[in-house]
Amino acid sequence: MATVANYANIFVRYDLIGSGEAKGVKVSNKDSAMQKVLDCVLEGDSDNIAAAVNEALASKDPMTVINDGLIRGMNEVSRLWDEGEYYLPQAIVASDAMLQGLDICEKKLGKALEKKGTVITHTAEGDIHDLGQKIVNALLRANGYNVVDLGKDVPVDEVVAAVKEHKPVMVTGTALMTTTMTAFERISKRLVKDSNYVPFVCGGGAVSLEYVSGYELGIFGKDASEAPGMANDAVNGLSWSQLREKWNN
Amino acid sequence: MGQTGIALDLGTSGFRGQAIDLERKEIIATVLTARHPLPGANVMDHLNFAIEAGLETAHGVVIETVNQVISTLGIPKEDITRLAVCGNPIQLSLFEGIEIRDLAYAGERKKKLMGIVPPNRDAKKLAASDIDGLFLPPGVGVYIPAAVKHEIGADALAMMAQSGLLENRDIALVTDYGTNAEMALKIGDRIITGSCAAGPALEGQHIEFGMLAAPGAVHDIEAEKVGFRCYVLNQNMISEPGDLVDITAGTVLETGAVGVAGITGTGVISILYEGMAANLIRLPQIKTPQKKIHLGKDVAFSEHDITEAGKAIGAIRAGFITLAAEAGIELEDIKTAYMAGASGTYVNARKALQVGLVPPGAQKVYQVGNTSLAMARDIVLDPEKLWELQDLARALRANHCMFGDSQVFERAYLLELSFWGEGMPWEQYHKFSRMYKLPRLIEPYGEPEIIRLYERDIPDLGCRGVSYIDIVGKPCQVRFDGCTGCGACVEKCPEKALQLLPEQQPTILIRPDRCNGTACKRCEINCPKKVFEFALIPFIS
Amino acid sequence: MPKYDKMAYASADEMIFGSAKNPVKYGRDFTVGGGYVYPELVPHPRPGTESTKKTLVKEYEKMVTDVLDRCVGIGIPGIQIELEHVYQMTKNPEWGGEIAAATKHLQEDYFRKYGLKSAIRATVADYRKPDEEDIRNSVALENQLKTFETSAAGGADNLSIESVGGKEISDYTIVRQDIRGTLFGIGVLGSLDMEFMWKKIVAIADKYGATPGGDTNCAQANVAMFMAGGFQDRSVPHTFAALTRAIAAARSLVAYEQGAKGPSKDCGYEDVIIKSITGNPISMEGKTCACAHSDLLGNLVGACCDLWSNEAVEYHDMFGGTTVAVFAEILGYDVSLMNTAIELGKAKDLQQMMIHSDKYRDTHGFILCPENAYEIGKAIVANNTSYYARARAAAIKSGELMLGDSKLQISAFEKESLESAMRTLESLPDKEEDFISECTDIYKKLIPGFTLANYGL
Ligand code: B12
Ligand code: SF4
Ligand code: SF4
Repeated sequence: MATVANYANIFVRYDLIGSGEAKGVKVSNKDSAMQKVLDCVLEGDSDNIAAAVNEALASKDPMTVINDGLIRGMNEVSRLWDEGEYYLPQAIVASDAMLQGLDICEKKLGKALEKKGTVITHTAEGDIHDLGQKIVNALLRANGYNVVDLGKDVPVDEVVAAVKEHKPVMVTGTALMTTTMTAFERISKRLVKDSNYVPFVCGGGAVSLEYVSGYELGIFGKDASEAPGMANDAVNGLSWSQLREKWNN
Repeated sequence: MGQTGIALDLGTSGFRGQAIDLERKEIIATVLTARHPLPGANVMDHLNFAIEAGLETAHGVVIETVNQVISTLGIPKEDITRLAVCGNPIQLSLFEGIEIRDLAYAGERKKKLMGIVPPNRDAKKLAASDIDGLFLPPGVGVYIPAAVKHEIGADALAMMAQSGLLENRDIALVTDYGTNAEMALKIGDRIITGSCAAGPALEGQHIEFGMLAAPGAVHDIEAEKVGFRCYVLNQNMISEPGDLVDITAGTVLETGAVGVAGITGTGVISILYEGMAANLIRLPQIKTPQKKIHLGKDVAFSEHDITEAGKAIGAIRAGFITLAAEAGIELEDIKTAYMAGASGTYVNARKALQVGLVPPGAQKVYQVGNTSLAMARDIVLDPEKLWELQDLARALRANHCMFGDSQVFERAYLLELSFWGEGMPWEQYHKFSRMYKLPRLIEPYGEPEIIRLYERDIPDLGCRGVSYIDIVGKPCQVRFDGCTGCGACVEKCPEKALQLLPEQQPTILIRPDRCNGTACKRCEINCPKKVFEFALIPFIS
Repeated sequence: MPKYDKMAYASADEMIFGSAKNPVKYGRDFTVGGGYVYPELVPHPRPGTESTKKTLVKEYEKMVTDVLDRCVGIGIPGIQIELEHVYQMTKNPEWGGEIAAATKHLQEDYFRKYGLKSAIRATVADYRKPDEEDIRNSVALENQLKTFETSAAGGADNLSIESVGGKEISDYTIVRQDIRGTLFGIGVLGSLDMEFMWKKIVAIADKYGATPGGDTNCAQANVAMFMAGGFQDRSVPHTFAALTRAIAAARSLVAYEQGAKGPSKDCGYEDVIIKSITGNPISMEGKTCACAHSDLLGNLVGACCDLWSNEAVEYHDMFGGTTVAVFAEILGYDVSLMNTAIELGKAKDLQQMMIHSDKYRDTHGFILCPENAYEIGKAIVANNTSYYARARAAAIKSGELMLGDSKLQISAFEKESLESAMRTLESLPDKEEDFISECTDIYKKLIPGFTLANYGL
């Protein structure tokens, strides 16, 4: 009886991808150094990314390494996560690895890469629950945003001052305690008073759509994975009310 | 009679008091309240109430209820010589009437900004006259035990002191399966504490059909030849076999003696366990036609509930991992586990272990019951205890692990979120756990020895037995300007806390003990005239 | 009671498309399994046309004409047309009869004019409701039997059915991956109901000189297969669906034990197993039935077919003509390729290609490739002590095969489900009566309306 040595061109078992039995990665690069960069991003391998990027930089210019290695790899990670083949921790370590690589390339380039825009993120005054914010940070950075991470327990004043200073396309807030979420409303009032109508996406276990809809600028962020899409819309000129219309309805 | 002491446990879901004959060292009587007197279903709600309505008001309501408990115990006031309380720092601070805002905000920056100075929460002996409104002869001694840290209170101290942990020479871990999920790991002479703020899912809250232990609550389910048997609390809060149900469809196969009204935290654990064992729960999904585990026609457990329960279970498991890392041991080194708190006492320990709520290597599991009341009793009988515990608290402070600053916790919790919320497979979990160098999460031990220290929460009710207070604290009346008496607020109240009194001017009667407080406010939201204002309710006379 | 106790073929290797041990000859010079493969085209009327007999007969006339025209247009030597009854055709027995007559009239015309060989299968709709009525005594049953008569009288050559016995159980159990109940519903109740039904169908066929064709487990095993779906779907595990299929083989076999001769019904994917036992010709469908549903063994199912079908295509216009004509053409070229291979002595080679295309694509193709199907057939005949015993044996054998071939990759989720089902299967009682009484206790409680009386128990 005939035997088939390789079924790859007969059928693909898409159902096995992500379960460790097969790989769903669809990107590759013929150049072995670039392939290593891709692999490091896809594997979230922060230990080896620096060596891989340096090796690639020996023969390629930094923009190529960024676009065809780091960003391409990260886009693939996002795709795999969207499709349920990758899980949250993988997305985060990949983003960490990519940023490390980016750092090296930017140094070589002599300047920082032009980012899509700046987003300020923070966890509410009085709150230390910053996991949601950390996820938002990783996803925004992975999508090419410059993230000004104000950290946790950030006083209202500081958020308002940072907005003045950095002129972000979007501000985010995370709150997990019913006692701390009230800071969002105060931030909104202060910004509006300064006629600063920047979209203010608020999320976290304590807040709800009803609560966030109760003040100006507020857009409810249900899941961290929405943040990059919202930022894209903000960059494309959607106002806070248009964002609310689009994402909260 | 003479020489009577009062032991009080100020719990989040209700107060419990006992009168004790100090000479004969015997319990005379026990009083339980059906609920906590303040609006709200958990400590955060109580805190919110205290901040919104004012500390004095909250303190007033709490003391009013303490007076109610003492008078229901039926001991002449002049016979009372001492009173000892125990509870978490929030309840004890409300009792004492001291600063609570440091407990309401977690961030140091905000606290500094607001000038909040954490009060002294060391052990104290006060006089009854020091506590505003306490209806006892002024000289009666009031004993308040120490807190370790603001998130590890006297109740957690009680859990360590009363469970047997301190005497155990094995590596052992004790966990309070409550909202704050305090835990302590003992390795030789070292005790490391932590709190992972699991949230109220294990007490049945944030679960669609979740409820606190009350008649009609399902606290366990067991597979039978056909279908699953619901074990339900009856009118006397005793477990009874309830309906036999088809958990894959909303059908009741056999009607039991008690109807199913909702699911307790322990019920949630049981459902998760049985659902996974029957291959019907494949995280994060439920593989039944309607994607629900049904407990009859009206009650069901949803995929959203899995996520909520997962957040809590995940936090507890991340806590185990963090403590083990902090101690430099592996999880398999923890051979003894103590389960405290109401959920910890009543849960099916074997199922809890399989689901991930018990350190996986535990070969001996002790279910210790509520230890707060026991500790208050010990202190009343022997006030010296108070200072011994104070020393213990001091020693523990040095070894407290702030999970909020712990990268191990953060990483372990991230894996848990992915596991419960996204269905991340075990291989991936272990891969990341290795990469992060976390203590390895082993398979739960097969057949641990399970030791229930007490059959009941309170083993000895005293010679006069137990009385219940159903109307906790005082209902209060309010009239709002512009109120038309339409009754919308009354109708929308999910807890039946409101009543419209048949008077000339519309008057509303509110039962604060029934009210859900900050998290609800449906009365306010639904008032068509927008005159219902929670803040205007006079909670104390 | 089961009858078959040996295999029709000495080995899987002997089985090939186009040839059956017991060829069937009927219709207009039409032989199935006699050396060559023919297409079987199943046209489906547009919604709305079933409102009156007149419009429906007209619809069928148009469809059949389009099919026969296309056959002549591109040179297809012969074709079978299946009249797969919409409810109204069975509910009103004279409708079914009239449509059969109209089809026969047209086929005779083309046979006379062009020599186009042809035959008609009438598949009566089984609309009995096991959880609501006495299925051995209902109006629905009466109508169905009458329709068999009118169809045979009208000119149907082959009488078939997709019987639904035990469906009330399997509808409940399949979505819950309850293998015990699925075995009960299909393997036991399904078999008992078929025994009852096929005695009657064979008697009618004999009376009119028609051929009793076959049955299919469409109502159960196909439900499991469709729910298992493609690679992205996870609602019913593919391994579970494959077990269901193996059980279905033991059940659909009952038709032949009661006297059916084949060719079998096209959507009975279990037919390969049945052919290995009975040697009767089978009709199969694969890539050509994508118009009706998707499956993961589009080429492989053709490996031993005698008729090659499209399951059902609704009558509409396409750029290349009406759908029925287009599908007749697709089927025609497919069988032409198979027949070419036969003529060139390359049939086994083509068969290997079909097999390898899908054997490891999915569990269904895996257990239905001839060598595995043959093994399952052997397990069935070796355990012919009861319907239950052989259905259970078929399931266990197919499970063992799936677990035993490392080239068949199964995800952890699929494997877990298979292993759990296998544990259940192993733990079941050996005796049929014990199994029936165990299941009766359980499913009487779980499924309102389920009654043993419907199955003569
Ligand atoms: C993990 C946890 C902790 C960890 C925090 C670790 C950390 N670095 O964040 C630890 C153990 C340290 C902790 C401590 C405390 N906690 Co805590 N904690 C939790 C827990 C279990 C889960 C919260 C969490 O991380 N969820 C997962 C993250 C990813 O979800 P998330 O932030 O909501 O983000 C999601 C969405 O909301 C959204 N999102 C969030 N932000 C944004 C922004 C944008 C732009 C977008 C688009 C989306 C978005 O995206 C995310 C999903 O993708 C909850 C209980 C529960 N079951 O929820 C309690 C909880 C939040 N904690 C609570 C409390 C009270 C505390 C303490 C104050 C307890 C105490 N006794 O003192 C302490 C703080 C002490 C201190 N000073 O350190 C309470 C708050 C109650 C309330 N009603 O206010 C909770 C609800 C538990 C309870 N007791 O009921 N906690
Ligand atoms: S509706 Fe109002 S009174 Fe009723 S529980 Fe909610 S907040 Fe309390
Ligand atoms: S809903 Fe408003 S107006 Fe109506 S009775 Fe209540 S308080 Fe009065």
